[in-house]
Amino acid sequence: MNDPYSVLGVSSNASDDEIKRVYRDLARKYHPDNFQNNPLADLAEEKMKEINEAYEAITRMRSGGSSSYSGTRSGGSSYSGGASGSSYGAGSSYAGGNMALYAQIRNAINSGHLDLAEHLLQQAPQNAEWHFLAGSIAYRRGWMDEALQQYNRACQMDPSNMEYRRALDYMQRAGVVYRSAGFPSMRSFGGLTATECCASLLCANCLCHGGC
Amino acid sequence: MFGYIRPFRDELKMRDFDRFRSAYCGLCHTMGRRCGPLSRLLLNYDFTFLAILLSAACEIPCRGTCRRCVVHPLQRRGCSEPSQALDLAADESMILAWWKLRDNVQDKAFFKGLPDRFGAALLRRAYRRAARNRPEFDAMTQQCLDDLRVLEQARSPSLDRTADASARLLAAAARSVPDENRMRVLEQLLYHVGRWIYLADAFHDRKKDAESGAYNPLLCCFPEGPDLGPEARERLELTMTHSLNLAGSAFSLLPEGPWSPVLENILFLGMPAAQTAVLADAWNPGRRRGVRE
Repeated sequence: MNDPYSVLGVSSNASDDEIKRVYRDLARKYHPDNFQNNPLADLAEEKMKEINEAYEAITRMRSGGSSSYSGTRSGGSSYSGGASGSSYGAGSSYAGGNMALYAQIRNAINSGHLDLAEHLLQQAPQNAEWHFLAGSIAYRRGWMDEALQQYNRACQMDPSNMEYRRALDYMQRAGVVYRSAGFPSMRSFGGLTATECCASLLCANCLCHGGC
Repeated sequence: MFGYIRPFRDELKMRDFDRFRSAYCGLCHTMGRRCGPLSRLLLNYDFTFLAILLSAACEIPCRGTCRRCVVHPLQRRGCSEPSQALDLAADESMILAWWKLRDNVQDKAFFKGLPDRFGAALLRRAYRRAARNRPEFDAMTQQCLDDLRVLEQARSPSLDRTADASARLLAAAARSVPDENRMRVLEQLLYHVGRWIYLADAFHDRKKDAESGAYNPLLCCFPEGPDLGPEARERLELTMTHSLNLAGSAFSLLPEGPWSPVLENILFLGMPAAQTAVLADAWNPGRRRGVRE
């Protein structure tokens, strides 16, 4: 995978505009918003990284810079692969003493340990957060109808919580994320924060290099 | 249960039409070779989709030969070359079809179930051969069907849980793909395709099931009767569309290859069209709207 053009699937004499268009389409396709709380999110993230690096390599080559492709860092003009947003826990201060438990459950969901998450959830009181987490577990399993009902209940119990609202909204649009030109970054489910996301990107990076 | 997955013919390029047909013929020949001639009667578009998906995941090129067969003795037809992916699809199709047949036998009264019973008796040897080749898949299929039976007997009102058993069954078909990441992608894709088929079929059969008293998750979930209200229909449509979208996003993670256009056609046009037809009560499984083989 050394040729950045083949990564984007364009010919090497394509125009700048065409490359930009193809790049945008691909970035939209693999955007983390389309893989929220999805068991394949790590693969999409990797793909996004590849595309970003390829695009940057091409822009650098065309602007007369070095033509080396490997080892580029993403940044600047490319879409960032990670979701950013407020840190986990904001807006759910009522949860009080259960914060640590909730954080544990979110971690379990993020890492795909759904049985553990479900087990932990049994120890938590049945409040709005409970329904939200139950919905996230169901969603990760692919049980979208149950997830929708749970998110609905979470929103009814705590209508002011934006995270629940967004989750419900996502379900009501059948997982299709409409984006304006600016791609507003959205927070992913399960409380994945910007730092966590960076950490997981780094891990993915280590794995990639370790494997190759 | 079968028949919802087919290409949307109007939008299929001739080249991709030929590829689909050659995969269909290739799977037919492979089934005949591996499981005996009778197994070829079980061939359908859903299994062809599985064969193409496995070919795409294993990066099998679209090379083909021309062959004659019993159904088309006069004209030689393009036919995919034998491959690991076709072998896998043939065995798995045989196992799925056999258990579907057994399921029908168990569900029906003695006389009504006679044709299925007869078919099952004829195909027993073919099934045994396939099961010997893929013991894990066979075991997984039995497990999922047992889970489904338990839910059915409990008359579960959950759309997700009943669909889950059937979805896991199809997802297990991806297990033998050698590359781990592709296996994961395929598993997720097939899970949602299986879920979608189950829900489509539940909607299609709801009136028949209401009359016969058979279990149907929609009737248990929405007690208002087989003429589901607009809210119930909307809820079902939303969750089915969501499954299609998730299958689509999983598909986008597979490498682009010669099989991509036909798979895209099925996932993004054929299945949504089938969904619209099913939900409008206009689905006619006998009408061939896909590719005529």
